[in-house]
Amino acid sequence: MDQVEKIFETRELNVNMGPQHPATHGVLRLVLDLDGETVVNVTPYVGYLHRGIEKLGESLSYFQALPLTDRMDYVSAMSNNIGYVVAVEKLFGIEAPERAKFIRTMVGEMSRISNHLLWLATHALDIGAMTVFLYCFREREWILELFEKICGARLTVTYPRIGGVRNDITQEFLESLWKFTEEFPSRILEYETLIDQNRMWLKRTIGIGVISAEEAVNWGLTGPTLRGSGVPYDVRKFTPYDAYDRVEFDVPVGTEGDTYDRYRCRMIEMRQSNNIVRQCIEKLPPGPIMADAPKFTLHPKDAMFPITHPTKEHAFYIDEKVCKGCGMCLRACPVKAITGEKKKPHKIDQAICLQCANCLAVCKFKALKIVPGGKGLSEDKLKELAQAPLPEEITKAKEHLVEHFTFIKRGPRAPEGDLYVATEVPKGELGFYFVSDGSGKPYRMRVRAPSFIHAGVLPRLCVGHLVADVIANIGTIDIVLGECDR
Amino acid sequence: MTPDTFIKFGIDVLIIVIKIAVVLVIGLLHVAYATYFERKVIGHMQVRLGPMRVGPHGLLQPFADGIKLFFKEDLIPEKADKVVFYLAPVIFMASAMVNLAFIPFSHNFIIADINIGLLFIFAIAGIGVYGIFISGWASNSKYAFIGGLRSSAQVISYEIAMGFSLVGVMIMAGSLNLTEIVRAQENSIFGMYAIPQIVGFVIFVIAAVAETNRTPFDLPEAESELVAGYFVEYTGFRFALFFLGEYIAMFIMASLCTVCFLGGWTLPWYVLKVLPFLQHVPGIVWFLIKVYAFIFFYYWIRATVPRYRYDQLMSIGWKILIPVALANILVTGLVKILL
Amino acid sequence: MTFKKFIKTVTFIEILKGMALTLSRFFSRSVTIQYPDERRPIAPGFRGQHALAKHPQTGEAKCVGCGLCATICPSQCIHVFREKGKVSRYEIEVLRCIYCGFCVEACPYGAVVLTENYEYSDYSKENLYMTKEKLLSNWDKYMPGNKGEEYFKRFWRPMSGDFETPSQQPMFRGKRS
Repeated sequence: MDQVEKIFETRELNVNMGPQHPATHGVLRLVLDLDGETVVNVTPYVGYLHRGIEKLGESLSYFQALPLTDRMDYVSAMSNNIGYVVAVEKLFGIEAPERAKFIRTMVGEMSRISNHLLWLATHALDIGAMTVFLYCFREREWILELFEKICGARLTVTYPRIGGVRNDITQEFLESLWKFTEEFPSRILEYETLIDQNRMWLKRTIGIGVISAEEAVNWGLTGPTLRGSGVPYDVRKFTPYDAYDRVEFDVPVGTEGDTYDRYRCRMIEMRQSNNIVRQCIEKLPPGPIMADAPKFTLHPKDAMFPITHPTKEHAFYIDEKVCKGCGMCLRACPVKAITGEKKKPHKIDQAICLQCANCLAVCKFKALKIVPGGKGLSEDKLKELAQAPLPEEITKAKEHLVEHFTFIKRGPRAPEGDLYVATEVPKGELGFYFVSDGSGKPYRMRVRAPSFIHAGVLPRLCVGHLVADVIANIGTIDIVLGECDR
Repeated sequence: MTPDTFIKFGIDVLIIVIKIAVVLVIGLLHVAYATYFERKVIGHMQVRLGPMRVGPHGLLQPFADGIKLFFKEDLIPEKADKVVFYLAPVIFMASAMVNLAFIPFSHNFIIADINIGLLFIFAIAGIGVYGIFISGWASNSKYAFIGGLRSSAQVISYEIAMGFSLVGVMIMAGSLNLTEIVRAQENSIFGMYAIPQIVGFVIFVIAAVAETNRTPFDLPEAESELVAGYFVEYTGFRFALFFLGEYIAMFIMASLCTVCFLGGWTLPWYVLKVLPFLQHVPGIVWFLIKVYAFIFFYYWIRATVPRYRYDQLMSIGWKILIPVALANILVTGLVKILL
Repeated sequence: MTFKKFIKTVTFIEILKGMALTLSRFFSRSVTIQYPDERRPIAPGFRGQHALAKHPQTGEAKCVGCGLCATICPSQCIHVFREKGKVSRYEIEVLRCIYCGFCVEACPYGAVVLTENYEYSDYSKENLYMTKEKLLSNWDKYMPGNKGEEYFKRFWRPMSGDFETPSQQPMFRGKRS
């Protein structure tokens, strides 16, 4: 026997699976050491989709960074948006109104359904059941169309806003969503007819990728991947955000901690989410959809109308008596219509002025006056008109406009400090950690992405199994590389 | 040799050549439209439409595919074993095509009506696997290599099960000649062997799916695991040859099933008794209907079930199919002796 | 193995059920939309290609060139250039745009919109670099008549109605089961 081994020296087959591989869900790269078909060693490599989202978040204001979260877990962009928005709201210390909370819960659960549908689709396709893939996409398409109805985009929704949601839902949307929730449970049955009891599905999933409750917690698993092992941890239950404390739902848990249990957990979760959506529709309260927190939200457009409406022809005029000559407006003016020396009153060249209101927003001494209907008037006339008291609506509009400009130019200012807020996205616990230095941009934005942590557990799940089980395991931990690499 | 016999010989050859030409055309047209048929069937099962663009309802899609594959750049991996790499698809394709010669399409339409037809088909189908195996080896790619290994292991185990499942038919018909087997079925009280040989039939269907590398036994080319398995490095027309070979192999398996279990070109006598006008329909129509029903079944299965794992596939083959097939042979033999 | 389980195994009952489902779907209507021939209905407020709004009466661009859109744009794809009293160039790099719609929300003048046009693929980068003229012609093309005004009414948010309780709010009026 020794002689045989000497002649036929054996070594493991080193297979590079990914970053281009149909089953690695994007650009995950696994380096497998195979002994025959048995996996001896797995090394996951991540980072092929790294776009520096955390770093980008530091150079964008809290408001601007929202679309970045769409691009993390693009499969359930809505949940990521909500996670970000909830975290930032906590940082600012503001609270969204009831109606917005219910709408967010509703769309968040829709997003959970759509995510689990895509997970089931790809998981089943990886294991070979390709019809489930298309059936799932049929319903996912339905949800995406509903998303399009509320916010105009299907995938990268950017729908929630800090302090509420972008726009109110329509009656038509509510009715069609209700129709969806009525139809959806029968569609879940369809998928289950194809795979739930299928002997091949059972053989491919039962006893594959077993991880005990204790180990799963130690690995930092969250979401359905953890619950499959029997740990009933769900952020929605433990630290409820939005309207989760006002809807009833169960947290399904598995017993064995294998691929099949995780699959069952997600299937039940889809039904639970469907229930939550129904409850949200029923309980949807009337009320505002944006929080009344002028420092942290965009300002109502119609409140600025007295100044910004295109039919109004105002002129801007600098009051010589008030102007201290600080030069702020000089720098803010995009067309260099303002002239003047330092510490001397500035002057606006009315022929060049665009009436864009940039100067208005930066003037600290209220030297800039609005002259209603003063466009095209002579300098003396303006001087005369500027002394007259402004109508109240214009004064109010001016306040709003100034706040609006400041909000956009500088970003909403967060109090100093740091904070970690976790939300339950379909993949697990999505955490945002902010370090704020009191400016409009986070000093540090850290994202605890469930996919990244789940990708780490792959070697633990795969070693000792066969090549085909690697595929099943990639499917069962439900990772999206956009979120993993960030 | 007198001129008379010479002319007779010439006519015989001519007839055979014509038959070959006809079968070849049928075979290639079959492949072209089997791909179309598959895509349509699976598409509709998945609430899609399948190909719709080329020609009305995508009817010219197979030709578009063929032309595209023909004109594609022919890539050969640098470190591939070139000769073997060239040879593999030819072996695979040729072995599949040769088998067409032994299929009795109708009572008088068979290219080579030999007495050991059944064995011959097995033998040639066994050669086909060399094409797969050496293509996997010659590509010098790890995925292709694993695919080739899987395929050889799979075919070895499932050929045995398939052979055993047909032994029952051989015993009942008392012949290895495929025409004889059909005639024996025509004269039997069941009309087709799928009824008395139900166990053998089920085993044959499972083994046939495995033999042609179709879902749920498509492990050698498991798309999600091995990307495309043994032909992952093949492009252009060489890839097309593998494709052709696979569909012809499916046709062979469907024909074999039709001939051995479903009564070939004949209809069971009880059907004819109820609907006597059906006997005027030419036998080849029944044959093709049965074959395509079986091929539809192939597609149907593919649209429904997931894929087995490699070790599970092996254990099904060795631990379930082969013992059951042996038991079936035993029972069939006993019944044959006792009656 | 119980008898029931054995029967289930040998009859392939669960696979047959699945096959029955796929067969029934084989005869049901497919959901495919044959794209260039038929199109999906686009929801109002779709975030597609940009347009610069024109004043309904004067027909001139509403944009005054304040540059808020350029400031808020997370991908910095908007460039505004002004010259003596007018906006000389207003350009959007379509290839960089992420269609978040923040420019619409930031603009206090209601000057920029996202239209429903999503079919603007092209072979050259120049054609995908939207100049002011192109953006203004987009407004005529995709926001004809009242459509633009409707767009601003519904999708130019937030309005003060969003901060208080409007009288007519969409509520679920279906049956409560």
